[in-house]
Amino acid sequence: MRRVLLGLGLLLLLGGSAVAQHHGGGSAEAFTATPAFGPDGALWLARAMKDRIVVVKSADLGRTFGPPVAVTPEPMTLDWGPDARPHIVVDAGGNPIVTFAIFQDQRFNGRAFSARSTDQGASFSKPQPLTANTTSQRFETVAIDPAGRVFAVWLDKRNVAAARTKGQDYPGAALGYAWSDNGGGSFGDTSIALDNTCECCRLGVAFAGPGRPAIVFRNIFEGSIRDHAVVTFKDATTPGPLRRVSVDDWKLEACPHHGPSLAVAPDGSYHVAWFTDGAARKGLFYARADSADAAFSAPRALSSPDRQPARPYLLANGKAMHLVWKEFDGTKVEVRWQASHDSGRTWSEVRTVAATADASDHPLLVAHGNRAYLSWLTKAEGYRLIALEDQP
Amino acid sequence: MRLSILVALLLALVAIRHAEAADPLPFERGSWARLRASHAGEPTVIHFWGLTCGPCLVELPHWGKLLAERPDLRLVLVAADPLPQDPERVATTLRGAGLDGRESWSFIDRFYERLRYEIDPAWAGELPRTVMIDRDGKATVLPGVADLNRVRAWLDAQPKSTHQE
Repeated sequence: MRRVLLGLGLLLLLGGSAVAQHHGGGSAEAFTATPAFGPDGALWLARAMKDRIVVVKSADLGRTFGPPVAVTPEPMTLDWGPDARPHIVVDAGGNPIVTFAIFQDQRFNGRAFSARSTDQGASFSKPQPLTANTTSQRFETVAIDPAGRVFAVWLDKRNVAAARTKGQDYPGAALGYAWSDNGGGSFGDTSIALDNTCECCRLGVAFAGPGRPAIVFRNIFEGSIRDHAVVTFKDATTPGPLRRVSVDDWKLEACPHHGPSLAVAPDGSYHVAWFTDGAARKGLFYARADSADAAFSAPRALSSPDRQPARPYLLANGKAMHLVWKEFDGTKVEVRWQASHDSGRTWSEVRTVAATADASDHPLLVAHGNRAYLSWLTKAEGYRLIALEDQP
Repeated sequence: MRLSILVALLLALVAIRHAEAADPLPFERGSWARLRASHAGEPTVIHFWGLTCGPCLVELPHWGKLLAERPDLRLVLVAADPLPQDPERVATTLRGAGLDGRESWSFIDRFYERLRYEIDPAWAGELPRTVMIDRDGKATVLPGVADLNRVRAWLDAQPKSTHQE
């Protein structure tokens, strides 16, 4: 017994130093896979590797992938923030557009880029900055509106720098956006839709119609309250009023790295899922609104706070609404899933669709035709595309 | 009896080794139990911070000052960034805040959920966070930037004699 204890003690002493040596040097590494379906049913993934982004394509729903195609020709310091990832959309001609952000310095100032393929993913154009301003852009998201026009939105810090030169305080960042009129080859002038958003949470983007993006984001309300809001554009260049999703009363002088998700259903209803640790409520929540102008319903709790519910994601696919999130039971991380067929008024029982016992990317949803899928990258299992039943 | 002395000795050795290391100790699965065991019976303040957490970097030098002011502060620092950080930057940042030579750990496991769950299942990962553990193992959590007057009051309330053998 004594010998066992001695051995254990030695292990503690030696084990610690061995691991310490191994993790020396280098910066944090991105570990994400972002999916998109092409019009022909091909699955595309934008993968953030150690210092580059590649795109891979699968013709058999993720069972096998073709060779990786580089999007970034040179090694780069990618934005490895826990809520950051490259984004990918595929246009009607089967050409992918990829956006991503890098870190410019050690103070987490970012620079966002886009790259486009005109040969159906065989190669990509040299990445171009989304905007000429060099202050900082992060959490860029690209989306194609119902008319086929490419839209990009991101968190922009140009107004922080401007306020500072005037000696003024500027909490957070701003919502910057631009449209592309050449299919994502480059983007036009940048506009700021709104000031003082939280600075390191992902954005959720959907469309209320052609030229009418709807964006959900963690806002900074009076008193450093970091609750969620939605802005719907009246037209392509006119952001509408800010609508608060919920009064969670999360007063925080930091950023939680935990952004929301938004879906707009064919009936025009809005659906939002989000994380909060506010005074009014803690954990993961869902709410819906009948339209862009209607008030949001009372938040519905997903799971309980002691199961670490995290990273919600919503997808509207025809008449079905899908919602997934992560939970931890002490051993395994599970992806939990619910579906609704009545515009989010009632939901199916929660089911586990996948699990892992090690590190994992956020769970994402993607659809082709009538079928919705969970898209999930895990350290132990690798990439998985899992079909969700239509009628759970 | 002799076994327990041996265990205590070994744990003390681990603690000394930790205190001397310039680079942070790797915080991985099981580390929380080791950390707790090595300070069992001693009032200990564990401060969770992160290189990716702006308010944490503003707060750290205040802990350095408190440490200089209070020799009875048994402080352990845990860098709990959601993604593993460069250990040299962790060490340099602590040195700059006057926290050089303190027992310091850094999350190195990407299975972040597991690390947090071992510490506190209800902790969503927000930083900074301070956990004060008295000699009976009772924990008091200060979420967010700590009110150091509360830490002083807590220290004042701890029994002065710590060894009971």
